[in-house]
Amino acid sequence: MYKYTKYIWLALGVLFLQIFLLDNISIALFLRPMIFPIIILLLPIEWRAVWVILAAFVVGWIMDLSLGGAGLYIASLLPIVPLRRTLIYIISHLAVESGDQTGLLSRMTQRQMIGYIALALLLHHTLFFGLEALSLAAPMQFLATIVCSTLLSTIVAMPIVRIFAKQLTTR
Amino acid sequence: MHRLIGFIKQIYVVLLFVLLECGALWHYASSSPYTEATMLARTTKIGGAISQTVTNIGHFFSMPDENRMLTARIAELEQQLSAIEELYGERTQDTTLLAGIVDTTLHYRYHAARVSSITTSRQRNYIVLDKGSEDGIAPNMGVITPSRQLVGYIVSCSERYAVVLPILNTEFHIGGRLVHNNELCKVQWDGSSTHEAQVIDLSSYADPERGMAVNVSSPRLPDDVLIGYIESFESNAQKSAYSARISLATRFSVLDNVLIVENTHYDEIERLTDEATAKSNE
Repeated sequence: MYKYTKYIWLALGVLFLQIFLLDNISIALFLRPMIFPIIILLLPIEWRAVWVILAAFVVGWIMDLSLGGAGLYIASLLPIVPLRRTLIYIISHLAVESGDQTGLLSRMTQRQMIGYIALALLLHHTLFFGLEALSLAAPMQFLATIVCSTLLSTIVAMPIVRIFAKQLTTR
Repeated sequence: MHRLIGFIKQIYVVLLFVLLECGALWHYASSSPYTEATMLARTTKIGGAISQTVTNIGHFFSMPDENRMLTARIAELEQQLSAIEELYGERTQDTTLLAGIVDTTLHYRYHAARVSSITTSRQRNYIVLDKGSEDGIAPNMGVITPSRQLVGYIVSCSERYAVVLPILNTEFHIGGRLVHNNELCKVQWDGSSTHEAQVIDLSSYADPERGMAVNVSSPRLPDDVLIGYIESFESNAQKSAYSARISLATRFSVLDNVLIVENTHYDEIERLTDEATAKSNE
């Protein structure tokens, strides 16, 4: 059995950090850290897809309501859900066996976990900034925003991921 | 019903994902005029590209039929040309003169075109062709199928495209003529069926019969262009004229290649008609 309270605390903590801290930090135009996708990325891969889709919808909806995204956060977060297994397989060659309840994420090494989070955040940021700009009029700035923001998001997210992963292995 | 429920149960996760994603994108698109306009432009572009690809695939698979039809038409034209050359050669002893004379005195010129888009489900349908003013196309030119059946006539054109007012438009009307006795009539469309049109003002002396062919009688097109065949007819209350329903010869649902017909005398005819009308109004 999974300890659902851990996931609820993770979600509340990350959302609080994102909405009240990270979104109010203004470093540079092309540096916009977004760590809220890790709430979805760290949900058990073995979970039924329908619950993960609904969870992603709720997280995106809270972000949209809090930051006035008008559906942008939901639209960019939802496509990450069906890609989680593929991303993990690309990074670690681990796959969910039928009836597997051991926790795929807890079997990943730290390096694999960084790769998984960074790749997923890169995809999310590409979608998010692509939808936000809806234009390739300034391609270099667009690319710089995606790359720099992904790097910063990964750096900020990794301590949280590491602490949470430890919790997963000691449950 | 059970199968439908079973099918929905199988794909409900995908369905839920698509619904939520589309809902979010729609909400985002309608959040500001900029996002609305930009996303509409993107979706139109994607939709257009998909439609073009589907059309191209359709064209590819219909090529054998088109080739057969074109080969038959080429053979027919070659036969006519050789007959003309033979006749002309006998009279002038110089067949090379024919090409130059044909080019300058030709009554009708033909331009091949393809259908870019077509609507058939509305009351006012239009067809867009892939030839425009750059290719010598101009308004009022007639449009027919390669097997000489009426499609419509050009109403406007840009540099690369032309818009056709087809017979399947309630605004359309054209002169017609019964083939067997040359009785004149008018042909129009009431919007009820894509396979039928209406003949009006057919003289009481016309003596129509089911299956009779109705050809075009218009300065835009040659007289041998077929409109359709009489399906049913009735005389009016005063027994002074007939009206009839005709089955259209052109199958608009599979329309692809067309011929644009340029009447080189059209402007002259129109000018004379306008002058006559102006004089009669004085």
